[in-house]
Amino acid sequence: MNPLEKLHEEIDGLVDSFTSQAIVGDIWGVGLTQYTFWMFVAIALLLIVLFVFVKKQAAHGLVPRGRFVNGVEFLVEYCRDDLCKGLLGDTWRNHFPFIASIFFFILANNIVGIIPGCKPGTGCIGTAGALALVSFVYFIVIGVRSQGLIGYIKSLAPEGVAFPMNAVVWLIEVFSTFLRLITLAVRLFCNLFAGHVVMGAFALLCSLFFEPILQGITPIAIGEAGASLFWLAILLVIYGVEIMVAAIQAYVFTLLSAVYIQIAEQGE
Amino acid sequence: MGVIGYGLGVVGAGIGIGLAALGATSSIARQPEVQGRLFTVFILASAFVEALALIGFVVTLIAQ
Repeated sequence: MNPLEKLHEEIDGLVDSFTSQAIVGDIWGVGLTQYTFWMFVAIALLLIVLFVFVKKQAAHGLVPRGRFVNGVEFLVEYCRDDLCKGLLGDTWRNHFPFIASIFFFILANNIVGIIPGCKPGTGCIGTAGALALVSFVYFIVIGVRSQGLIGYIKSLAPEGVAFPMNAVVWLIEVFSTFLRLITLAVRLFCNLFAGHVVMGAFALLCSLFFEPILQGITPIAIGEAGASLFWLAILLVIYGVEIMVAAIQAYVFTLLSAVYIQIAEQGE
Repeated sequence: MGVIGYGLGVVGAGIGIGLAALGATSSIARQPEVQGRLFTVFILASAFVEALALIGFVVTLIAQ
């Protein structure tokens, strides 16, 4: 039997396993889905890493020593110099805690999700949407605080445009501001979700093509086992890409949040 | 049909990200010292383009 025919049913099962299911409690009430469970694992790991970092750092004075301390410090400095100082200018100090916590939270979640058998906490629309909502509320509050409520609402439309066009541009800008909320959430969720579904599909192909050789060695079975090795090679390549995606999505989410904060703070 | 529609939508995003990468690589080749700042701009531009393709992905899932 052709292994490709079985793939169709298996893929349905795979996508089902990627939708949120309650492992404790009720999905519509208080409960824990597999994604929130791994999110808590990621938070715990992140806290352990940061506390060990602080402890090791304090033991040696302020000069970083060792691969671990230097690695964490590199990430923090990258976040500070590239994301905060580069984009936000003089007020970077106010926003650094927010930006760094978002960056590290997403990074920890994505990296935990990459480990086979684990799920990324950011791979469900709930977590991604909550993160996007936090970022959205934050930049609006920053905009209102720095320019006043009326000033912020006015600043959405560019200056120096005559009256009728002014209102149209303002409407479009308001629409695109709310669109930011959706795109931030959907981008993070879809990258993680789609990436993991693709990895799962190739893992399924690999195992389905390897099955015939276990039931008896025939020329066809050997050929299919060879194809299985080919799928395995593709799976490994995609795995490498997913590791990159995990880092890049954390970077992109934080970068866009920083850009939005900067736009809200300084006006357009 | 949904899959075909998604494929059509991705063509645009693919062209967009390709153009962004083309611009970034040719500018880095001309002026290697701006690499750090260009990388940020490139990632930002591709993130905006990519969002469109991902919205297509979600619509495909919903429409099924």
